Amino acid sequence: MRRSTTLVLLALACGAVAIMGLCAGPSGWYLPWQASDIVTELRAPRVLLAGIVGASLALAGVAMQSLLRNDLADPYVLGLSGGASAGAVASLALWPGVPPGPLAAAGAGGAAALVQWLARGPYDPTRLLLSGVAVSSLLASTTGLVLVMSPEGRLLRGAMFWLFGGVGTPLWSALILPAGLLVFAVGWMLTRSERLDRFTLGSDEAAALGVDVLALRRTILLISVILTAVSVAACGLVGFVGLIAPHVARQLVGQPHRHVIPTAAFGGALLVMSADTVARTVFAPREVPVGLLTATVGGPMFLWLLQRGAR
Amino acid sequence: MIPVLEGHGLAVGRTSEALLRNIDLAVAPGERVALVGENGSGKTTLLRALAGLDSVLEGTVLWEGKRLPSGPERVRTLSVLFQTETPSRFTVRELVTLGLALDGPPSMSDEGLVNRALEQAELGSLAERCCASLSGGEAQRTMLARALVAGPRVLLLDEPTNHLDPARQATLLAWLERLRRTVAVVLATHDLALAATCDRVALLHAGSLAVLGPPSQVLTPEHLARTLGVHVRRIDDPEGGPPLLRVVAPCARRSAA
Repeated sequence: MRRSTTLVLLALACGAVAIMGLCAGPSGWYLPWQASDIVTELRAPRVLLAGIVGASLALAGVAMQSLLRNDLADPYVLGLSGGASAGAVASLALWPGVPPGPLAAAGAGGAAALVQWLARGPYDPTRLLLSGVAVSSLLASTTGLVLVMSPEGRLLRGAMFWLFGGVGTPLWSALILPAGLLVFAVGWMLTRSERLDRFTLGSDEAAALGVDVLALRRTILLISVILTAVSVAACGLVGFVGLIAPHVARQLVGQPHRHVIPTAAFGGALLVMSADTVARTVFAPREVPVGLLTATVGGPMFLWLLQRGAR
Repeated sequence: MIPVLEGHGLAVGRTSEALLRNIDLAVAPGERVALVGENGSGKTTLLRALAGLDSVLEGTVLWEGKRLPSGPERVRTLSVLFQTETPSRFTVRELVTLGLALDGPPSMSDEGLVNRALEQAELGSLAERCCASLSGGEAQRTMLARALVAGPRVLLLDEPTNHLDPARQATLLAWLERLRRTVAVVLATHDLALAATCDRVALLHAGSLAVLGPPSQVLTPEHLARTLGVHVRRIDDPEGGPPLLRVVAPCARRSAA
């Protein structure tokens, strides 16, 4: 299939799922043009935020996989998930009335900075990866310990949202920062897509092909951390999107970042919007955490792709 | 005539300690120079400095009398072929296009350059194949095509014949012959036969450039015994070709007189 056809089909699928998300919900079916408050104030911002977060996590995955030259890297690999969980739980325990998003984002950023510091010295992707795994495990176990020791069940219930992810019912104003950041990230990455291609060949090869390796590496890392931290602040930990969307995109359109970036962004948006629509309709009136669904779909799909690649 | 590559008073090293000092080297357009020395003598370190990949500890390196430009202009000045490269999943055409160091999609003229490089490397029928599925020889031709697609004035090669079977060595030598007098080539090598095909040979020993000159004057049994610690039997080609150098036995290195 031609790359442009793939992209158009993905965009159409995103549109179709978005319309489905506007129509369906626990309170019943509404047509989008009925413009009830439920559609305009509850479902529309929720569907859009799901799409923005999905696209942001997918782009962070593309960036992280280029940075580490490893297709199995994901946005949470640098300790971001552990840091975000610790930040969210600390916020819920210390300031129960305050939304835990900002502290979750700060925790994600802090963990990434710690991992960078631990892996300082000559650039070594393996050392960076292992530092991320170690910091993630340490923070996750600390978070778990705090939850177990907590006398209040409320803390555990509140923390569930962050640990398994959920889009919730955002205000329109909550979309401004993630949307602005996504537009910036797409623009930045697309204008540097050929440099990202050369970067994936290796540091020396990229430098010999005219890439300022150090500057590009720093900026990729910064963009990936900010995209992930803002997504985590908005929706908690939605796993597998940053891993599966870039991988599927590469299967569909090949290696060049000029094609992978928009394809992965649409793929990530499609995955999270679909998962969120299922999460709030299929089990209504209960709502299933979105992160559980993305992992349930993403895990087996990823294994299938790996098996197919091995054959 | 301005040298395409020149280093003055160079001190180079992978750490703050210099591995080589007082290196002066100028490469003329189309000239072929071999850097020869034992393991750890600094061949690759010097080559990396000449490629602009590592900064020098002392001295200056100039490319066509200027500092090394960045982006597309860099690959039109200088290209580097590394010893090994992890196979990528780009197609052959995509990988060769990366050699143009573009910051956007290729124009019609860029595509023309890529097509010409693919034809010269006899890769036309493999253009849409994934690089990871190529044979060793095809992968080597692809890397050469990428190194030369922008039409560089200088090509740097690190141990180009290492780990190559005879057929791939022959392919590489045929390519180098094709480039003679059009692209300056600097190569780091242990292969004395390859060094003998160059216009000049630089023998690196004891932290400096011990001898620099034509192969007939540098690749002599005396110089090779002193710098590489080997007895070499040299058989000159009566028809004027490069001499055949046969390593006979190791020997103790003698210090310079």
